[in-house]
Amino acid sequence: MPEVNLLICVDSLSKRFGRRKVLNELNLNICKGDFLTIVGPNGAGKTTLLRILSTLSGFSSGCITINGVDIKENPAFVRKKIGLLSHNLLLYKDLNAYENLRFYGKMYNVSLLEDKISELLEKVELDHRKFDVVRTFSRGMQQRLSIARALLHDPEIIFLDEPFSGLDVHAGRILDGILEDLKKGCHTLVMTTHDIKKGLVHANSVAVLSGSKIAYHQRENLPDLDDFNQIYSDCVRNKR
Amino acid sequence: MNYLRHVLILVQKDIVAELRTKEMLNSMLLFVLLTMVMFNFAFGSGPETETLSSGLLWISFLFAAILGLNRVFVHEKDEGCLDGLMLCSMDCSVIYFGKAISSFLFLSVAELIALPVFTVFFVRESFLSHLWILIIVLMLGNVGISAVGTLLSAISINTKARDLMLPVLFLPVIVPILVAAVKSTGLVLSFSSVGTQQFWTEIVIWLRTLVIYDIIFVLVGFLTFEYVVEE
Repeated sequence: MPEVNLLICVDSLSKRFGRRKVLNELNLNICKGDFLTIVGPNGAGKTTLLRILSTLSGFSSGCITINGVDIKENPAFVRKKIGLLSHNLLLYKDLNAYENLRFYGKMYNVSLLEDKISELLEKVELDHRKFDVVRTFSRGMQQRLSIARALLHDPEIIFLDEPFSGLDVHAGRILDGILEDLKKGCHTLVMTTHDIKKGLVHANSVAVLSGSKIAYHQRENLPDLDDFNQIYSDCVRNKR
Repeated sequence: MNYLRHVLILVQKDIVAELRTKEMLNSMLLFVLLTMVMFNFAFGSGPETETLSSGLLWISFLFAAILGLNRVFVHEKDEGCLDGLMLCSMDCSVIYFGKAISSFLFLSVAELIALPVFTVFFVRESFLSHLWILIIVLMLGNVGISAVGTLLSAISINTKARDLMLPVLFLPVIVPILVAAVKSTGLVLSFSSVGTQQFWTEIVIWLRTLVIYDIIFVLVGFLTFEYVVEE
């Protein structure tokens, strides 16, 4: 794999929860502009990996660099560059959609904040509900607002943890559109999903996380859905 | 400058959310007023009650504060917003100061509403000329309570029995502040029975104690908060 544009480098990463090793000597390289989809069975450590890459969780051993900067040494540098969409939506349910985005926008020192908020609310089709309290939103609408929150500061790297969960078909299409736009805008995206089909549609790089390691990683010339399903099954079976 | 701006944005957000739900203010106010009514029935309003009144005041304020402090990080934890705040690439102590200032403001509002009720129930002599000292005592007490309470609330929110854990951690630590606040409040309420010189000598000692503990608690919170919230 040509790695001249190497952006994220994970080297021998291990993470323990008590005695249990969730990630064991995991290696992963992600290049600038890549859209990496990570699939894996429940409990494989996908969310843990994204939390570690986002600097929200520590790790037991190994080294991670983003843009050549060690994330343990300088987490603030990394945090400026990343947007995270996680299981937890990171939204204040007693504030309305506009107040949530304005709060995070001010915290990120976003310039032209009002314009940015309007643009994003329009993108996720929530502009007509901008002054409604988030508590009154459906899960799918909250997820869409959370996507807007994650993109507010125009991050270079975006981590998406099961972004399609809780979305109806229409909302799923909105997210598909956003992901395509981000790809065109040369953002680097790392997405975990159980939906292999969805994952393959967007990605130019796929990985299977199984047995606490990256059991398979292919960049460009991705296998078709049937082949990848077979690869995935083999990875999960071999782990057992 | 940016640091202070972030603290103020966080405080502003907390005030907007609290004004919408009033969950902290309502519970603190209801508790403090009910406690005073109960104490009034239990102890009456005789001269012997006056010697207890400063203790009664601070006990009701302290337990009301625990009710409020238990809620400080609930939204941040339950909706994962603490992660959202950490990702804003700011210093973690911004979160600490923002939350401590919000707690201070909510507690002060509850106390200022409850203080007239306390005066009606338990105070027989006017202390209007020394009211400003009582307000200083309340504010210094609140700084200590908010500073240590915010830190311990962040610790207890990550435990299973979070509602129980905060009082267990908080009450032993807050004793010096409580003692100094009770003593100085007692001096203000009974200033006519002690000489002016004795009043000033003693009040300065207790106010100094409050200031010293406030500084210690704020510094400890500022220096350790990052380790408390990071996984």
